[in-house]
Order: sequence, then C-alpha cells, then structure tokens
Amino acid sequence: MASAARTLVRSRHLLPQCTTPLSSPSPARQPWRIRGNCCRPVPAWLPPQPSLVHRRLFSAEAVAHPTNRVQIYVSRSHNPYLNLSFEHYLLQKSHPDSVVLLLYTNRPCVVIGRNQNPWLEVGLGALNRPELLAPVSRVDGEGGSGNGSGADADTLGVQLVRRRSGGGTVFHDLGNVNYSVLCPPAAFDRDRHALMVVRALQSLGVSSARVNERHDIVLADPDDAARQQTFKVSGSAYKLTRRRSLHHGTCLLSTPNLDRVGQFLRSPAEPYMKARGVDSVRSRIRNVGVGNAAFEEAVVAEFGAMYGNVDVETITTRDIEEIPEVMRGYEELKSLDWIYTQTPQFTFSTRSTEDDPRPRPPLPDYLPKDFDLSITARHGQITEAKGAGVEASALDSVYLHKVDDWRTLIGEAAGCWLNGIFGARPK
Amino acid sequence: MAASIATRCLRATRAPCSLFKVAQAPIARPSTRFPSSAFRTFSSTSLREVRKYTKDHEWVDLSADKTSGVIGISEYAAEELGDVVYVELPEEGKAVQAGDAIGAVESVKSAADINAPIACRVTSVNMLLEEKPGTINQVPEDDAHGGGWIAKVQVDEAGVKDFENLMDADEYKAFTGSDE
Repeated sequence: MASAARTLVRSRHLLPQCTTPLSSPSPARQPWRIRGNCCRPVPAWLPPQPSLVHRRLFSAEAVAHPTNRVQIYVSRSHNPYLNLSFEHYLLQKSHPDSVVLLLYTNRPCVVIGRNQNPWLEVGLGALNRPELLAPVSRVDGEGGSGNGSGADADTLGVQLVRRRSGGGTVFHDLGNVNYSVLCPPAAFDRDRHALMVVRALQSLGVSSARVNERHDIVLADPDDAARQQTFKVSGSAYKLTRRRSLHHGTCLLSTPNLDRVGQFLRSPAEPYMKARGVDSVRSRIRNVGVGNAAFEEAVVAEFGAMYGNVDVETITTRDIEEIPEVMRGYEELKSLDWIYTQTPQFTFSTRSTEDDPRPRPPLPDYLPKDFDLSITARHGQITEAKGAGVEASALDSVYLHKVDDWRTLIGEAAGCWLNGIFGARPK
Repeated sequence: MAASIATRCLRATRAPCSLFKVAQAPIARPSTRFPSSAFRTFSSTSLREVRKYTKDHEWVDLSADKTSGVIGISEYAAEELGDVVYVELPEEGKAVQAGDAIGAVESVKSAADINAPIACRVTSVNMLLEEKPGTINQVPEDDAHGGGWIAKVQVDEAGVKDFENLMDADEYKAFTGSDE
C-alpha cells in the first residue's frame, strides 16, 4: 500500500505547482534555540524543487518573517489548550502571505465550538473520569517532554475545551490527528484543505474518502453502499480574521474510544434546554484505520505538493511553553471564564413552553409532584429563575459552572436532580 | 492589501443563500442621504449622515455633527459569509481602534471577526441579532429598528480622521466589483 501511495504522490509532483520563490535570506537565528528535533529528510524520489527546500528551526522571528512563505509544524505536545494556543499564535504571528500547516494530537478531550453551550453539548458529569475511557487512554503517553503538560498532567480523563473557531463539538484522543492550515484570506476555501486531507487518505489506500456537503470528510459504509450511507472521520471548523484564515479539522484514525464517545457528547440537560448559538450535528463516526505517523506524512506530502516542500519542524511542549504569548493564550483557553461564560444565552424549563414546546421526559418520583423550574442564563449566569415546589429565587445570579452541589442552593431533592442534569459532582 | 481581501475569497465556497440572488449587492447608496423621518426615528440628533465602507467590508454611518455613528457589515460580506447562525455582539462601553476585532459572526462553521471601521466607543449594540442572527443576511445595511446594524458608537477626532480615509458607496461598489 505504501508504494502505491508514493506513486500517487510522485505523479502529482509532475504537475505544475503553486510555488513560492524564496528570495531574501532567512531571519537571524538564535543559536540557543537550535534543537536537533528537525526534520524529515526530503525523499530522494522527489523531483528537484525550485529552491524550495529551506531549513528552518523554530523561532518567533522565523514564524513572522516574510521569506517563510511555507511553514510546516508538528507539535508533539498532547495538551489541547497548549496546542490550540500555539495554533492561535501562528494565526496571529505568521506572515500574512504565508501558508502554514500544523499537525497535533491531543489527549482525551471534548472540544466545543466558539459559540456553543457546554451544558447542552457535553456530558459534563463524565469529564475528568479516567475510568470512562478505554484502558489504553488512561495514561497520557506523552513521554519524555519535560514537565510536559504541567499541572494538567494529573487530570486524566476527558477535559473540556472551547476553541476559538466556529462549528460543533468533537471528541479527541491520541488516536485522532488534527490538521490546521493557515493561509491568506484570499486563498480561503472551505473545502480546499479538506480535499488535501482526502488526497492524503487516498494515498494511504483509503479510496472511499470524500468531502461531503458539510465540509466533513466521510468514508463510504461498505455494508450500506446502496443507500450511500457514510461514516464521518473528520470534521472542520474555521476562523477568519482580517489578515488570515484558519481551517482546522480532526481525523479519527484509531481511537480506542469509538463506542465511548457518546457518553461525553450527550447531555442529560438536552431535553430541557433551548440555546442560542450553534448546535452540533450528530454523525456516525468510525476510524480510518491508519497510524498517526503515516497520516502525518501523507498530509505533509499533499501540503508540499500544493505549496512547495519545506522541512517539517517538530515542536515540543517545552518549545511552546517558551513563547510568552502562547502561554498567555493558554491561560485564557484554560480559564473557566472562557470555557463557560462565553456561552450564548439559554433557557432551561422542566415543562414545555411557548418557545420550546417539546414534550419533556417524566421527572423522577423523588421530586415534589408540583415541581417546576425554569431558568434563563446569560454568559453562564442565571438571570431569571422561576418555579414551583422549589425555592427558585436562590438561583438568582448564580454562575452554573461554579456550583459544585446544587443541593446547597435548592435543597436535597431538586439539588440532587440538578446535579445529575448539569453534571455537578459534589466533592 | 491583505486586509482588503478579507472576504472576497468566500465567494467560491459560501453556502447557497437564495435570499441574495434577488438582492443587488452592494446597494449603491448615495453618499449623502436625507433621511425620511418616517423611517429614521432612532437618530434624532442628526439631520443627515454619511455612509462609508472599509476594505474589510464593514460600513459606518457618521452623524452630521461627527460625534456618533452606526456600524455594520456590508451586503457583500453578508452574502459571502453565508447563513449567519450567531452574532457575538461588541461589548458596550468598549473603546476600540480602527481594525480592532469587536465581535464575530458565525456562519457555516466559521467564526469571522467583525472589525471596528473607525476608532470609536461602543454605546449600544443591536440585541435583535442575538435572537435573530439571520437578520444580518436579510438587511445587513439597514440601520433602523429591525435592521442588521451591529452597534452604535461614539466618535471622536481620531474616529473622524479614520472615517475620512474610507470608501464612499461608489468607491466601495467599484472595489467589490473589481474583486470578482
């Protein structure tokens, strides 16, 4: 399969390419930053490239330098907040005309979109519980990268992350590689780089991969070819700024948690909540069934075929931690303020309402017969609470994410129920 | 120039948005308008306003006394973005420089920054957009009640200076026309 893949890639190199001449000298290097973690050698089978092979090691200056029109990074950190912060740093700092590829793999986490509601999208009660993951996922596997993930390293289990881009909620673990392409807005196209990843998958023998109308990458369901059913293996999200556009996507390669993902992506509050903002669309998922390294190499090859080949720069957790801007962004992404209070306004009602007429599931018997509760929350803070059979006024102005135990606010029965609904776990 | 191409690229990939097939975009407004009092009740302090556009596809109306304004995104931008599902409104009271991101619009999995067209201080925001984000697709350049305007702002000398450097409707029309 591998040799077939090479042939495919090679033939594409014979076509005219979009190449970027590198004219002026590269930026000054800081010798103390040089590390021996670079670089994949250029394969001998590549035809000569017009002066595209350009050796570069990570430095903040190099990211922004106009000569570095094509940059490829592979992060070896598994910390989702750190990787997203590094990605945002590249978005802000890379030269406006440059094209940048970043590949990274996160330890188990649920990533919600910028304008989503964690209480609605996520099984919050299932977070940070290693026992809910496949045994192999309960250790980080990020060996030998210094203090690595810092204080987070002991919080195994699934973490909650809110990204800066749009779109819906996804699950990541070490069997999922994320790709991220930054380019000038003029080159932005929602499918361009999803198609790049499809070509990479096809070069690995995954012939049924294609981009669907939602810009997701899907594989045909071999058992249901007649109805053209598909499995999603990759979802996309985008961020557009004045000078840059970012397209990032997941690719589910070999997660051992395929049948466990549901418990993290289903909320018991869903039948009661109506939220402004963005809803996720559920899709059937599966693994592609290729290794992370093979996928990374294939994506790098396709990216190189589009923009010109440059050396891949491997970035460690420590490299990232040395960039002050990244660490500031890291703290922001990790903050409960960003994760929870960025939530658009929502309502929660135990009975059908005019705005949300869905029939509600029956309430448990231990609640008072006349129990009724309706809440409006803005930026994660309750602005209005009304009810019967419960002292709803005790909920006024409460931030939902700050409540460890709802029983302390509204009594045993109702509190117990809300703990389950909102995923609070009394200590 | 990089900034000038902020959204032109979206044309090729936007989600189908039939609303705009019938609208002409951008609407060429005369650079000076004499408001009809029946429709322009919200701005009682200005007798006439001037609308200008940025290369990032925002518009701004400046009041005749040059102390206040209204900002929004252009029809061209609204069409390029596709169906808007959420608008992150600017923070009231916030003072910003021209080009600063003051909010964001989400459409088709994309969070796109809204940038301040001029230096200004946000005095109020259009709460309607939070409830009905699609208003941005329907009437993005309507600065009246029920319209798709984004924020009302207070403007000082720096803002007026920024304003002078922006494009009028004809220039903007030529700018977006030449993009295609």
